[in-house]
Amino acid sequence: MSQNNTNSDGIATANDIAAGSQSGRRDRPLVGDDVVLSYSGTDDPVIDGESIAAEPGAVTALVGPNGSGKSTLLKGLANQLEPDAGSVLLDGQDIQTLETKAIARKLGLLSQESTSPNSISVEDLVYHGRYPHRGFFDSVTEEDEAAVERAIDLAGCGHLREREVGSLSGGQKQLAWIAMVLAQDTDVLLLDEPTTFLDLHHQLEVMEIIETLRDESEITIVVVLHDIEQAARLADRMVALNDGEIQARGPPEAVVTEQLLADVFEIEAEVSATPHGPRVNPIRARHDGDEHTTGDDTAEPDRAEEVVAE
Amino acid sequence: MASETRGATDAWSRARSWLGTLDGSLFGLCVASVAVAFGAGLLQVSFGAYSMTILEAWQAVFDPKVWFSVQAWQSFFFGAELPELPKRTLIVWNIRMPRVIVAVLAGICLAVSGAIFQAVTRNELASPFVLGVSSGAGLTVLLTLVLFSSLAPFLPLFAAVGGSIAFLLVYMIAWKGGTSPVRLVLAGVIVNMVFTSLQRGLFFFADDLGVVQSALAWITGSLTGVGWEEFRIAIIPTLAATLLALAGARQLNLLLLGEETASSLGMSVERVRFMLSGVAILAASTAISVAGIIGFFGLVVPHIVRLIVGSDYRRLLIGCVFVGPALMVVADVGARLALNPAQVPVGVVTGVVGGPYFLYLMRRQEQMGEI
Repeated sequence: MSQNNTNSDGIATANDIAAGSQSGRRDRPLVGDDVVLSYSGTDDPVIDGESIAAEPGAVTALVGPNGSGKSTLLKGLANQLEPDAGSVLLDGQDIQTLETKAIARKLGLLSQESTSPNSISVEDLVYHGRYPHRGFFDSVTEEDEAAVERAIDLAGCGHLREREVGSLSGGQKQLAWIAMVLAQDTDVLLLDEPTTFLDLHHQLEVMEIIETLRDESEITIVVVLHDIEQAARLADRMVALNDGEIQARGPPEAVVTEQLLADVFEIEAEVSATPHGPRVNPIRARHDGDEHTTGDDTAEPDRAEEVVAE
Repeated sequence: MASETRGATDAWSRARSWLGTLDGSLFGLCVASVAVAFGAGLLQVSFGAYSMTILEAWQAVFDPKVWFSVQAWQSFFFGAELPELPKRTLIVWNIRMPRVIVAVLAGICLAVSGAIFQAVTRNELASPFVLGVSSGAGLTVLLTLVLFSSLAPFLPLFAAVGGSIAFLLVYMIAWKGGTSPVRLVLAGVIVNMVFTSLQRGLFFFADDLGVVQSALAWITGSLTGVGWEEFRIAIIPTLAATLLALAGARQLNLLLLGEETASSLGMSVERVRFMLSGVAILAASTAISVAGIIGFFGLVVPHIVRLIVGSDYRRLLIGCVFVGPALMVVADVGARLALNPAQVPVGVVTGVVGGPYFLYLMRRQEQMGEI
């Protein structure tokens, strides 16, 4: 995979980051340094010593097949999973040494599946995003109200604010949850598959929100995406994982190659450059012997259909 | 000066945010609860072995000889000597009234305790009874009554210790990298079984039948014979637990969003859970130390309130503080007067009525368990 690690335009490679100067790393809002992540009850770590640095003010997308460890890496970066070794640095400070509310004022996380009581209103849900900014006995301040207004406006769910969350569609729910993490008003935002399970309209809405955030604010975003084409379109930088190892990183054009799709995603595909970034045209799933002509036992055929439909 | 005004506006906005929760359904529920509690309380003080008319009972309740007597209030609150009072006033104020008031306190405690446990475990089936707190607290209270009766004033403390031990046991048994509603309930059944057996075993160490009978009434949950002494035992822990629960309402609401969301918003989930469970154990233990183990109450009341006001804990807890006492006073009226002159323990009434109500809820709701 080494050819994917090389880059022509000065984007840091794995080696650069790992060996990176201390000052260079300080500039970056969120850095994972040689992190080893595992779940209790399992022997082998899911991520075995990888380094990653989020580009300040840009969108970094983590992509990879199912079970490649991309969500696990995100959880590690979000301090939801304590690393067995290595460290995560938030604004240059070891995240383990920071107080939980202080972390939550700087770093927001939208998990893949969120549950809430059905009868809570969208507005009340969004107000929960202000939790890290409020003391135990503090009441709602003007600053809280302004942040909530901004978040609801950005997420485009103003028309839903009085609705009960239980009565919303999946896509509307996701907008409400995005508004909640936006109300948290953080410098770094981590999103775990924010578009999965949404219809195309809401997928595009979510992507537009992320684009707006990138263009109009200084916020640093790391997003896990299932759809590599979507990731290529959205991200400034991409990081491809397979089997818990980072296989490639760099700008979308450098990462999304036919070779990478074959090696990491095990599909044969044509990649063509478009103004929206590289376009992937999946042809068939690859198998070990490569004697099949059509994929029939993996999730990839579904993905192919989605991409074609788009 | 400026900071003073800010303090004032801050206090005002806090008051407003709480008042904001008092909308139609909650307000109606509170008013109805007060009316029901008042009506049932009046019934309770009017009838009994010494008969008097409702009017006479009213006169006794509003007897100025009590209301304007410092000595009377001192006797209720601090256990001083009672002043000279007419016979009716004495019966109403010294025998029947404390029973109503203790029922109010026990109702608040059990409802609040159940509501907290349901949020902390994110489980609709949770209650002090299901989680083993009742049987644990029951065991220590019974031990105190049977073996160390001189330590009675410290009953809530012992009950809290027993309840905490049982709760921790249930959690340890149910824990397997997290808990689920069903695992918690099953662990509760196990711990309940053991502790209930130990309670029964204690009967054989009782000296005489009188102790056995009072212990039995106590295990079933009874307000028979409670007086101002029980009020004095329960009032401070009840107020403390209620205020702490209301203060923690926002934390409870956040817990309902799930562990992951709560911790990504900066909550130390385990610590908050632990402290709120402590408040719930305190509340349950208080009720148990004065009224015994009243089954189903802590489970059903938060359910009823949730159906009416929704799952926002600021509203839910206020609702529980009103509905709990109303239903407890009503249940105790049934326990004392339904089979007059015979009395049954109030726990029998709550079990007989609460069980079928819960069955109805279970049939009506498609999925029971997670809130």
